[in-house]
Amino acid sequence: MVEATDVYIVPNFISEGYFTAKVIPRELELTGAITVKDRRILKYCDPVGNDPRMTDLLLHRAGEVAADAPPHESSLVIVAHGTGLNENSAVAAKRQVDAIRDRGIYPEVVAAFMEEEPEISQWANLTTQPYVVIVPFFISDGLHSYQDIPVLLGIQNEDSAPASQQEVFRHNPYELHDRKLYYAGAIGTDPMMADIILDTVERFDLEHD
Amino acid sequence: MIEQLLQERLRAGAIRLGELIVRQAEPAGYVVRHWQDDKPEQKLTVKTGSIAALEIVRYDAEMNYRPLKGAPNLRTGWELRLDSVAEVRQTIDYFYPGAFATWLAYNRGEVMPVDLRQTLARQTGMYRVTQKLTDSQAEELAGRFCQSRSGCLRTILWTVDDKAPNRYLPSSKFDPQADQLAERREANVWIPFLCVEACNLFVAEARKIVKVHST
Repeated sequence: MVEATDVYIVPNFISEGYFTAKVIPRELELTGAITVKDRRILKYCDPVGNDPRMTDLLLHRAGEVAADAPPHESSLVIVAHGTGLNENSAVAAKRQVDAIRDRGIYPEVVAAFMEEEPEISQWANLTTQPYVVIVPFFISDGLHSYQDIPVLLGIQNEDSAPASQQEVFRHNPYELHDRKLYYAGAIGTDPMMADIILDTVERFDLEHD
Repeated sequence: MIEQLLQERLRAGAIRLGELIVRQAEPAGYVVRHWQDDKPEQKLTVKTGSIAALEIVRYDAEMNYRPLKGAPNLRTGWELRLDSVAEVRQTIDYFYPGAFATWLAYNRGEVMPVDLRQTLARQTGMYRVTQKLTDSQAEELAGRFCQSRSGCLRTILWTVDDKAPNRYLPSSKFDPQADQLAERREANVWIPFLCVEACNLFVAEARKIVKVHST
């Protein structure tokens, strides 16, 4: 499929973890950041989620979905997958939480996960502000962001049809546990992602020349 | 080189790969259709540019998601117009990822099919358990999951313990010279649609079988 000698591989993944550390190198037979194989040079880049602009993207999404919520009375929850298979999976989300917290826009910024503690289903106990903004730290809108997380948040029933996927974002804000909850789409769907992929390639060259 | 070969084939007539047919258009450009729509006076929805292919491949006629791109359930009723061979190449890859390049590599003798045992042996995490799949279970799974009528249109080149999993499949399923579409037209424009290694969906099905038998 690819005819060039130099091949950059950019994992369209939100964090380092089981897939970027194990599955992709295994499937592509990579031996490190640079692998020379069959006269080809394979350059294995960072996952796009490591890009420094991810923080801006998360804040942009949060501001967009909860335009009528005052940030100084809002808790921001970054929800990620997390997995017991690799301890790095949750690191990217936690790093983003720290970066956002440092900017001092929201009085409360927390990370929550689907398969790790603290669990996203506990959002009401994890937050204290009257407005709660939830942004999925995911690459695409799929089963997790359309179905699994809404069920864990309590804004959708387990048996609701996946046909009404877009509906989940139309009912913002949800009134639950005496709070106003805003639920955003996955950040990986932002058009800025194309630039982030190109930047990831450039960063690879800077780090490996 | 891929584009050059595509151009040669298209100049000579057309390309049919899986359920797709690509032809040169008049006065310029290219047109892609479902082979069943490849006849005059069809009322088709016209789309332009390779990106439109992503919409077409995503859902079948009943709007169910198509996780397996080789499945014989491509929608009909559309026509895709493209300007360049580069776009044709991109479009074919959207419909059938890697298929054209695999066929070229096969012609050059560079395709090395991967035995199912090797595929399963390198699985980790939740798929490691697939290593317990028996030969007979693998035969049954291939017979159900890979069959050309409603499973997958690719021709199987991989083996199970060095043997083609042919207990429940016709010998044509393993023959690169055989077209997997029963009602094929214009055999001279057809390109073999090859499978060199059991796909991830096959591995996921294998996991289900092993799990059911272990509980």
